[in-house]
Amino acid sequence: MVANADFWLTQFLNGMQLSMLLFLLSIGLTIIFGLMHFVNLAHGALYMVGAYAGVTAAASLGNFWIALLAAPLAVTLVGIFLYVAVIRRMRRAGPMNQVLVTFGLIFVIVDLVRILWGDIALGMEQPAVLSGPVEIFGVVYPAYRLFIIAVGLVVLVTLGLVLSRTQIGAMVRAGVENDAMASCLGINVERLFFAVFCVGCALAGLAGAVAAPVFSATPSMATDILIPTLIVVVIGGLGSLSGAIVGSLIIGFIQTFGAVVLPGFASVLVYILLAAVLIVKPSGLLPARS
Amino acid sequence: MFYQTSLKTITVTAVLAALAVYAIAGGYFPREIVVEIAILAILAISLDVVAGYGGMVSLCHGAIAGIGAYTFAGLTALAGFDGFTATVAALAISALFGLVVGGVTANISGIFFIMATLAFGQMAYVVIFEWKALGGDDGLSGVSRYDLSAIGLNLNDSLQFALFCLAVVVIVYAVAAAVLRSSFGRTLTGIHVNEDRMRALGLSVWKHKAAAFAFSSFLAGAAGILAAQHTMFVSPELLVWTVSGEVLIVVILGGLGTLAGPIAGAALLVFLKHETGAWTEHWHLVIGLFLIAAVMAGGRGVYGQIEHSFQRRALRTANA
Amino acid sequence: MKFHTFAALAACASAVLVANTAAAADIKVGLLLPKSGTYAALGKEIEDGFTLALDEAGMSEDFTLVVEDSEAKPSVGVAKARKLVLEDQVDVMAGIVSSAVLGAVRDFVDGSKVPLIVANAGNNEATGESCSPYITRVSFSNAQVNRPMGEWLAKSGFNKVYTLAPDYAAGHQMIDAFTETFIANGGEIVGSEYTPFGKTQDFGPYLTKAKAAAPDAIYVFYAGGEAITFVKQYDSFGMKKDIPLFGSGFLTSPLYVAAEGPAAIGVTTALHYVPTLNTPENKSFVEMFTAKYGHAPSEFAVQGYDAGRVLAEAVKAGASDRETIKEQLAQVSYSGPRGPLLIDPNTNNIVQNIYVYETVADGDALTQKVVGTVDLVRDPANGCKLN
Repeated sequence: MVANADFWLTQFLNGMQLSMLLFLLSIGLTIIFGLMHFVNLAHGALYMVGAYAGVTAAASLGNFWIALLAAPLAVTLVGIFLYVAVIRRMRRAGPMNQVLVTFGLIFVIVDLVRILWGDIALGMEQPAVLSGPVEIFGVVYPAYRLFIIAVGLVVLVTLGLVLSRTQIGAMVRAGVENDAMASCLGINVERLFFAVFCVGCALAGLAGAVAAPVFSATPSMATDILIPTLIVVVIGGLGSLSGAIVGSLIIGFIQTFGAVVLPGFASVLVYILLAAVLIVKPSGLLPARS
Repeated sequence: MFYQTSLKTITVTAVLAALAVYAIAGGYFPREIVVEIAILAILAISLDVVAGYGGMVSLCHGAIAGIGAYTFAGLTALAGFDGFTATVAALAISALFGLVVGGVTANISGIFFIMATLAFGQMAYVVIFEWKALGGDDGLSGVSRYDLSAIGLNLNDSLQFALFCLAVVVIVYAVAAAVLRSSFGRTLTGIHVNEDRMRALGLSVWKHKAAAFAFSSFLAGAAGILAAQHTMFVSPELLVWTVSGEVLIVVILGGLGTLAGPIAGAALLVFLKHETGAWTEHWHLVIGLFLIAAVMAGGRGVYGQIEHSFQRRALRTANA
Repeated sequence: MKFHTFAALAACASAVLVANTAAAADIKVGLLLPKSGTYAALGKEIEDGFTLALDEAGMSEDFTLVVEDSEAKPSVGVAKARKLVLEDQVDVMAGIVSSAVLGAVRDFVDGSKVPLIVANAGNNEATGESCSPYITRVSFSNAQVNRPMGEWLAKSGFNKVYTLAPDYAAGHQMIDAFTETFIANGGEIVGSEYTPFGKTQDFGPYLTKAKAAAPDAIYVFYAGGEAITFVKQYDSFGMKKDIPLFGSGFLTSPLYVAAEGPAAIGVTTALHYVPTLNTPENKSFVEMFTAKYGHAPSEFAVQGYDAGRVLAEAVKAGASDRETIKEQLAQVSYSGPRGPLLIDPNTNNIVQNIYVYETVADGDALTQKVVGTVDLVRDPANGCKLN
């Protein structure tokens, strides 16, 4: 193999990019899970809707950046509808029922997408300023993937600041820690949950729109991304930002480096890791609630 | 607690009899549907044992059936073993897999348990998919059905195979009912109700859970063997997690923790699938809506709701 | 509704359905294609081509079509195949997109002695060690489409090639065929990787690894959504100018190359059909297809068309039931949109030209420029014994 340093650096960037994408999805899921005790298997389907919304917005408006704003908005609207119609009622229903209801939602959303957009993969053009490779630290790497990494980092820093420095962040953390007590302290936990849910949906939509130019929008996106996201949430630990980022990095890098160093074995490796964490420390590596 | 009530007996007999009549009177495709229902019913019964009575909701039962199917297919089609040996081996390996999964996950509960079973199921899927000798993605064909010519049956005839599968459903139900009624089954229900108390009584809970999961996997393996013989072909898609999800849906639609419910649920789902599939290719949408409605309406399932109203009425007359 | 009523109604409904389909014309054709799932679009193209062929021959009235959804799943495919043969009593079956489905139904088709015209599934064994006098393939075999490229690349001066393909049977078959002829012509494979089938969306790690092996060119097989993603990502890494991309023609299939956009320009692949073939037969076919369906035909459309055409030709030659159809299918040969077409009596696989083509820009759209033709590629017997 030629130019080892370049190879490893490029793979590092590949790993970062996948990790950031997983992070955008898992942070929404983990906070919803940790705060609302709600298992939302349909989170992957929301990601898919974000991708399709992005594709359509970009195609009709001709502008990538507007599409990047439109997609999270569209997914949030879908999320609000789902919350009012289904999720609010199922909040205390227990994990099995939640799994079933959201499983049903996956069926419904995926088929609706297939009806509206068809079965063939739809592409989305990268913005001109970001298409094409750039040179970074001596390697040639697609600019758009660097953009994905940047988006992830920006969201990470923003959420980190919000959660640690703002009052609403403190309320969220209190709610995750002990929602009954938080409610006793006068926090409107219901409204907080709703707000958090909306933010989670918006992030899923953003992830979809950001991923679409690289991966194309397909109906199978909903279930393809679901398992890696769930694994990140479980391994990283429920309800915490640090858990989400650590989990994303672990899975992102295992998948990237595993693919080239130990192909075939890489996919089993992730599941073995998941099983190990569940057996040894079911609450995850860095849960919000210890 | 499991009791073989007359309602259960009537329901099971009625459903299976109706299916038998449908197979006898109907043409070719109805027989295929009956076999599909029978296999799904066996799988659903096996899941109900651990999920409904044991409180262990598993998302890997599809994979376990797949392991049974592949073991049977591999031993008969590739290694040339006879049907009987292959069956024993397939059931044993399925049970062993269940024993391991049940034992290892004994201390996990709730959503984490579900995810752990999902992980194991996916591991099995990847192993089977990557195992080149088993055909990989293209699957393994050349699986033959049991040779029962000694008792005058020809399972290659679709009607006889359909009725054979229904007979297996009866056997599986009877075996599951017997186990649930025994002290083993009652202990299992006890663990479901209050695990700590059972532990306080001196019971080795994890061993019991592992054994229960092994028993359930034994039954699931039987479903896999029949599935392999039905299409005379196995492919890795049997082990995908969405199949396990479908089995769970069947149990819920029928009635969790009723043992008779899953049989009705299997028939309901298969007919629903085929009927909606006939007039729209977007039948997933219809099934999804149906499922959401069923769960949100109380999640007791069709048979479960019937049983519940009967029990309430019985209670009312008793208290009157 | 009570269970038994439902069951009885369902039984009546299927009886009525059987009665209805039994009523009509001479030859009953069972079309087994995916109508849902990722391959639904291919299934539609094949069906469109098939009905066009029957219309063109003026024989639509002589055939009754029963279409069933295989969902590209082997278990469903087998169940539907059994229904078509045993309940609908079809005289001939056609279709099958997925090789896995073909593998699953092979024994049943052979045992029930029903002729099957394969309109897509390319697994080598179907016309190799698992061949059957009842299975006639008019699409391609995985090896057939790739062998010519091995020779082509070697002769074009590329000595070191890195290969990539999805990790499933078809992926391996396609690359193995290419590798065989490439090495036989003096080439060297500097590395080879198989990506998780259907689950790989991020080719980044693999592309990086391929680049590190410093090949002269990269040869791949990807189809459908994976092809679109691969081509776009290849371009985004800026690899095209240093390491040209070659592949099996499905990589830039006319059916979805538009989704790949400018990333596909300059990619050279080989396929058994492109819509820009400059023959009178093809021009009239493209015109007819576009007029009827509103878009240019892809190789899947032509496969469906040829499936219909060979059946029509067989019937014109006097075939009327399962045995005679099976006999006549093997004798058909004509010059169609693909060029010359005949069935190899040793394998029942199609013998056809393979066209090496480059994807080029045509204004805003993309089109295929044929840069080489390999005449009448015939598969070796590969263990097939047809008596």
